[in-house]
Amino acid sequence: MRIAPKWVGLCLAAGLLLGGVAGCAHRPPPVAPWQREHLSKRALRFDADLQEDRFRQHWLGSREGADLGFGQPGGGCGCN
Amino acid sequence: MKRAALLVATTGVLAAASAAVAGDYVVVRGAYYREASTRVIQPIVEVERESPSGIDVGAHFLVDAITSASIAAGTAIDNVFTEVRDEVGLRVRMRWARSDATIAYRYSAESDYWSHGIGVSYGRRFWGDTGAVRLSAGRGFDTMSARGRTPECRPGMSAVTCPLDSWYAGVNYTQILSPVWLAQVSYELAYLDGFQGNLYRAAPNFGYEVVPDKRLRHAVAARSAYYFPQTGTGVQLFYRHYWDAFPGGDDASALDPWALRAETVEGRVYQEVTANLELRLLFRYHWQNHAQFWCDAIAIPGCYAPGSTYYSTDPKLGALTTKYPELKVVWEAGAMRDLPFFRWFAGGSFEVSYGYFLQTTSFGGAHLLQAGYRLPY
Repeated sequence: MRIAPKWVGLCLAAGLLLGGVAGCAHRPPPVAPWQREHLSKRALRFDADLQEDRFRQHWLGSREGADLGFGQPGGGCGCN
Repeated sequence: MKRAALLVATTGVLAAASAAVAGDYVVVRGAYYREASTRVIQPIVEVERESPSGIDVGAHFLVDAITSASIAAGTAIDNVFTEVRDEVGLRVRMRWARSDATIAYRYSAESDYWSHGIGVSYGRRFWGDTGAVRLSAGRGFDTMSARGRTPECRPGMSAVTCPLDSWYAGVNYTQILSPVWLAQVSYELAYLDGFQGNLYRAAPNFGYEVVPDKRLRHAVAARSAYYFPQTGTGVQLFYRHYWDAFPGGDDASALDPWALRAETVEGRVYQEVTANLELRLLFRYHWQNHAQFWCDAIAIPGCYAPGSTYYSTDPKLGALTTKYPELKVVWEAGAMRDLPFFRWFAGGSFEVSYGYFLQTTSFGGAHLLQAGYRLPY
């Protein structure tokens, strides 16, 4: 059985990630609690615009083919 | 389902960072999308309430008013219509010391398309709350019908309504690397089974389109954010790779009817202009090849061989590139606290954005205008 190179790559990446996480357990955290003043900035948050993301997903999902495809409700508008 | 899953996947994923942000809020937004063939107006209201007991509740309601001239979407039939879609979502999150779990439900309805979605997620923080892993899963149940005819949901199988079932799974890992730098990697998988085309779109000489009824979709993504305190400038970079396949087939083979690949990159620059005013400049670039079964039947009417199993004129299944520049302004409304009546809005923030979506498909360019107000309470 031939294993696709991309699956080998994914497994390797997952292994490195898990190894890195395990290794982190023996090191102090990179940021102390009193060093977090900037982390609430919009620029440092990936979840700051949920409503914007929802609308963006709607129009990108109907105009590009690389959306994951579920949760794009809509038939009559030609959005499928 | 994707909306619910995305919401689940993103809400609280950076709990370590977002813990400093008030969780109770009301958001009112409006979005306007305009291109040659389609206009969409979408008002939305969303509310979230965090409870000291560790159980949070959120809900949203939105309306899509869509006016579409489908000839420009590549169909053979000129047709103009307006349709309204209503969507409501509810989510409940339970928080513990280092972890949280969320369950979300979404229902969407329009005159010919109904969709139920449920999503669950579990997140855990560790390493001094600087790392967070989140697992998400979802399930979608869509049903659609065609006005004025009984469609073939699969070749030779006519029914009043066509189903589309979907499954979703995702994992992401977020790491705070320094007081001003963080990164995230993610993997998402979706499986779709059912009617995945458009019940009104047709291909010349063939009739209503037929696309493969099963699709396995993957996406890996990485993003990073960095902030420069001296200038109040933030930068975010995002990369995503997508691929899909017909389940059970050899996706490396030309026989796979899907085998669509896509690359997306996006950059954002945030600039604090004053203590209350922030600008965000965004640029997104997307490239994809075409689904292997697809050909441009509008430009080349005979490109589908007689007897073809699948045929579609859907532009988004073809090779395309899109570019999207956008400018957004966010204003914290504290300056309104001394104004009669308007002081009610002083605790929140207003935002407005404009972007132009450039497409190489027959859809052409599109204007996007969004405005909103967010009030923590």
